Amino acid sequence: MMPLLFAKVGEEQTIKRVTGSPDVKKHLGDMGFTVGERISVLSAAGENMIVSIKGARVAINGGTARRIIV
Amino acid sequence: MAIRIALAGNPNSGKTTLFNDLTGANAYVGNWPGVTVEKKEGRMKKQNDVILTDLPGIYSLSPYTPEEIVARNYLLEQSPDAILNIVDGTNLERNLYLTTQLLETGIPMVIAVNMMDVVRKNGDSINIAELGSRLGCKVIEISALKGEGTFAAAQAAVSAAKSGKKALPPKFSDKVESCISQIESSFGNMLPQSFGRWYAVKLFERDEKALEKLNPSGELRSRTEKQITDCEREMDDDSESIITNERYEFIAKTLRGCYKKKNAGGETVSDKIDRVVTNRILALPIFALVMFLVYKISIGTIGDWTVGFMNDTLFGEWIVPAATSGLEDLGCASWLVGLIADGIIGGVGAVLGFVPQLLILFLMLSILEDIGYMARVAFIMDRIFRRFGLSGKSFIPMLVSSGCGVPGIMASRTIEQERDRRMTIMTTCFVPCGAKMPIVGLIAGALFGGSAWVAVSAYFIGVAAVVVSGIILKKTKPFTGEPAPFVMELPAYHAPTAVNILRATWERGWSFIKRAGTVIVAASIVIWVLNSLTFEGGLHYIGEGDEKSLLNAIGEVIAVVFKPLGFGNWQAAVATVLGLVAKEEVVGTFGSLTSMANADLAMELVEAGDSSKLTLIGQEIFGGSGLAAYSFMIFNLLCAPCFAAMGAIKREMNNSKWTFAAIGYMCGFAYIVSLIVYRLGMLFTEGSFTVSTAAAFIAVAALIWLLVRRPSKSVKVKSAAGVTADA
Repeated sequence: MMPLLFAKVGEEQTIKRVTGSPDVKKHLGDMGFTVGERISVLSAAGENMIVSIKGARVAINGGTARRIIV
Repeated sequence: MAIRIALAGNPNSGKTTLFNDLTGANAYVGNWPGVTVEKKEGRMKKQNDVILTDLPGIYSLSPYTPEEIVARNYLLEQSPDAILNIVDGTNLERNLYLTTQLLETGIPMVIAVNMMDVVRKNGDSINIAELGSRLGCKVIEISALKGEGTFAAAQAAVSAAKSGKKALPPKFSDKVESCISQIESSFGNMLPQSFGRWYAVKLFERDEKALEKLNPSGELRSRTEKQITDCEREMDDDSESIITNERYEFIAKTLRGCYKKKNAGGETVSDKIDRVVTNRILALPIFALVMFLVYKISIGTIGDWTVGFMNDTLFGEWIVPAATSGLEDLGCASWLVGLIADGIIGGVGAVLGFVPQLLILFLMLSILEDIGYMARVAFIMDRIFRRFGLSGKSFIPMLVSSGCGVPGIMASRTIEQERDRRMTIMTTCFVPCGAKMPIVGLIAGALFGGSAWVAVSAYFIGVAAVVVSGIILKKTKPFTGEPAPFVMELPAYHAPTAVNILRATWERGWSFIKRAGTVIVAASIVIWVLNSLTFEGGLHYIGEGDEKSLLNAIGEVIAVVFKPLGFGNWQAAVATVLGLVAKEEVVGTFGSLTSMANADLAMELVEAGDSSKLTLIGQEIFGGSGLAAYSFMIFNLLCAPCFAAMGAIKREMNNSKWTFAAIGYMCGFAYIVSLIVYRLGMLFTEGSFTVSTAAAFIAVAALIWLLVRRPSKSVKVKSAAGVTADA
């Protein structure tokens, strides 16, 4: 288990947990970040990264990448 | 009775394209009450009794972003006769998430699966008939861009509205269903009749807005709370996550067997472009190049030429003289000719002069937006802007503001987070706009021998003001709190489409003309009146006379305020006030209030960079003090922007308290910075120490404290359900 922030580019991962306040968790869930979902990092620039989830490219920042545990 | 149909869908699902296709030119753009999200309404082509409402693009109906709140309130409070839900066929799974929530409202619904042409090209297949029967509503294939199937979809929505057949909510697992039906029965009649299921699900999620509205008694509240916690314990998850997962599961079940992707997981063209464009090393240089080109073309070359033509030729040589002689021929009184020709037409002309330049700028930004690059820009800049409390999405407003603050403020609309949006509006006008550059040119020419460093320092001050304000404001109460997670879907790149681009350009341009035009007309009249009347020997019109106008008198009063800043004379005060109408006015005002006695000459000298003659202004206004002139420049760069921009701030803030706070902050910040620069400068160059110098030291200390102090505590959000949220 590690935050998505440390995942390698190109490797597919499974989301184990999403942390944060209920509001934030709900918003992330609405955007497709739910437990059990497959996720892969397409590119990373500093702490910001572009991930592929539920068939879409989604840009997230370091703060968000820390909340997603894979 | 007209039939009302709401268009709902994810961002980038092609909703607006569909809306434009269905309504043609009949769109009416308004504003949603309470929030700054535009509402578009239009009558359907060839079917005037059908009104379409384009809801903002959303991923969910949970009240997280202003768009979500607007869409949700519209559906629940206005309850349209039918929903036309547009989904992106290339990404059904994600798009149907919103669909499951829309179905819960029970409003008759039709689903339009968009981008079918791309779906077919990719070799994917969707069993439309089967999908429709599983979702319990009509599903129609369309391609909004090509106009295929759009009218069939609209017709289906119309007949769904006429039949009034309620949409069926998605079925969840038994455990969740039993808990929801328990809630539904215990609330009974308290639930709004047609939205029973919707509210029951929201109560299960502990949705605060729903609880607020229903306001259940303490006993009912705790009974419901117990039912929810029981269910949570059983399913080992919190209720919101349970519902989110149930929705995705329902979608997966629905799509099983009727949706086939040919090459799932393969790298697309967009992925390849993104690998270069958002690359760790290349992202910033590519971005800088793109922005340089946009800026060069719209503000530089073509833009410059059009502004010159509009201001000097069209208005300066053709319209104003023609209007003047025309009115004189009609035998109008000279004051009326002055008011109409110089006051109103001249004032409006100053604003309209920017229109071609803005249209070019908007055109280029619309292209970048349409092909999908803008979304990447926000991503690239977020890394940098986050450091001083702004979001990556603040970059575009700031960039646009370097041309003109009005569209810059308007561009802040794309920022979902209200806090970030307000902060962007408050700081974006610090970036020196095109109209402030003549002031910089004047000061540089009049006192610094035309040194280019004055302009460089002006930009530096502007950017520093943004950064410092970001840090300071982020620590004040209204702006503290957990930074919003940056999550943004990046649309696939596609070739620009002419219709979309031209429409977006025109919409932005037109709202600029309309908004700026009205404020400017009013302000021009007021200033003209003040400048043309005098109290000396009774209130009367002075025209070209030399008597002291009301504006002079007011200038003398205001000048007292500017004494500590080093430019406490009435001319500088009047110039600052006139700068509120349009910042370019400052130069002309100095031209006419000094022995140069010619506003146009001053403008020409600044444009030509002829510093030898401008020193006259430096001597007469600032007594040859470079420091006083520099302080004047800082104040005018940072203080309240022109009326047009203030009008834009008011519109976008949509709240008079915040409007005053924003303008007050800008003026206060400008005053303090000017005070510090002038007084400390005087201390070091001439060793003068006065009360104001002491005040400047206090200001420095206060600024440092504001920058380094710990942020104030944010107001803790109380959960309406009586459970404490671990915020």
